Amino acid sequence: MYDCYLTVRSVTWGQKGRDVLDRAGLRCRLLRAPREIAPGGCAYALSLPQRDGIRAEAVLDRAGVPVAGSWIRRPDGSYVRLER
Amino acid sequence: MIYLDNAATTLRKPPQVSAAVLEALRSCANPGRGGHAAAARAEETVYRTRKLASEFFGLEPEQICFTANATEGLNIALRTLVRPGDRVVLSGLEHNAVTRTLTGLGAKLVPVTAPIFDADRWAEAFAAALSAGASCCVCLHASNVFGALLPVDQIGALCAERRIPFVVDASQSAGLLPVTPERWQAAFTAMPGHKGLLGPQGTGILLCREQPLPLRFGGTGSLSMDQKMPRELPDCLEAGTLNVPGIAGLGAALGWLRLQNRAELLKREKKLLHAVLRLRALGAELWTGPDQIGVLSFRLPNRDPEETAARYARAGVALRAGLHCAPLAHRTGGTLPEGTVRLSLSVLTEPKEIERFLSVTKSLLK
Repeated sequence: MYDCYLTVRSVTWGQKGRDVLDRAGLRCRLLRAPREIAPGGCAYALSLPQRDGIRAEAVLDRAGVPVAGSWIRRPDGSYVRLER
Repeated sequence: MIYLDNAATTLRKPPQVSAAVLEALRSCANPGRGGHAAAARAEETVYRTRKLASEFFGLEPEQICFTANATEGLNIALRTLVRPGDRVVLSGLEHNAVTRTLTGLGAKLVPVTAPIFDADRWAEAFAAALSAGASCCVCLHASNVFGALLPVDQIGALCAERRIPFVVDASQSAGLLPVTPERWQAAFTAMPGHKGLLGPQGTGILLCREQPLPLRFGGTGSLSMDQKMPRELPDCLEAGTLNVPGIAGLGAALGWLRLQNRAELLKREKKLLHAVLRLRALGAELWTGPDQIGVLSFRLPNRDPEETAARYARAGVALRAGLHCAPLAHRTGGTLPEGTVRLSLSVLTEPKEIERFLSVTKSLLK
């Protein structure tokens, strides 16, 4: 279940992040970020299983891909921001 | 038509280029502006080209910024680095894309001159000019008038020693010669997509190793609530709808170039240039030297360059006459006021086209 969302500031950074995660063996989807997790308006998110979230953030950090926020989508459809 | 005006734009492209343009026109919406399939296709098309370019030039994808042409890229670079009254050192071969922009910015232009085809003398002249300090240094990689190659790696090292930002205009070299902004230590490197890179007109690339200031302001499909332009590359330079069909074509061209043996292409172009130099035996005056790409200035005896080019055009040969938007280069070369006739090759020029050109030349001289 792709319930972890790592928001990025532009589609290019999202695409680069997707490539970086792919090379690290982490599958993700690049999508427009839902409004609830994009308070600045118009953002993109890398969506991946929650179990991969922490590793994915570390991989992106090492590759210099800035993550604006980390979110989990709850079963009720709401989002909770993770403080790391 | 025998097309030998490739320094203006390459007319013959790999067939994949027009196919990619057409496919993008049919299938791509606005990248970064929607979550639907057509927008996603546009995003992937743009990113594919960005990534190919990043591999081509040894940078990260976000350091590849799409522009409309080299002129726009140079405007961004110079407007970022230069303020009114700043001393800017530049080669005496620069194009109006540089000199008009600097003049418009109110900079103090310090053109460096040297014998056109003597790379060592160019490096010495730059060292002398830069020793007095500068806010910025601009140099082309290859002259659009004379085809001379300038020692941008040495000039970049001189700038780095003095902490002077370095801007390279790679308009005539990109696609043919290695363009290496990391090695050159260039803050910005600008190029068109439609010359040696073989992409469509209306495309260009600015390679950014420093943070640029935006030239255009507007929507980027990101951080929309913020009324300041995003600082992130490439968004900070790509406000408004991108030329997706053009970028798709440029991507196809880069893909084609990547599959070629570029050393062989260069060797082939040198061979063609060598054949063109038979002009001298026909009585033409040539500007030529050891470090030269396939761009040649010449004049036929007792003929005005414009008249010469018009006569070639009537015989089915496309050349360019006059000042080539580079009066400074003609001043340095001593070819003002009439300028020269310029012949310029591409990697897709055929030997038979050179033979035809020489044959037309003979008939014009009768």
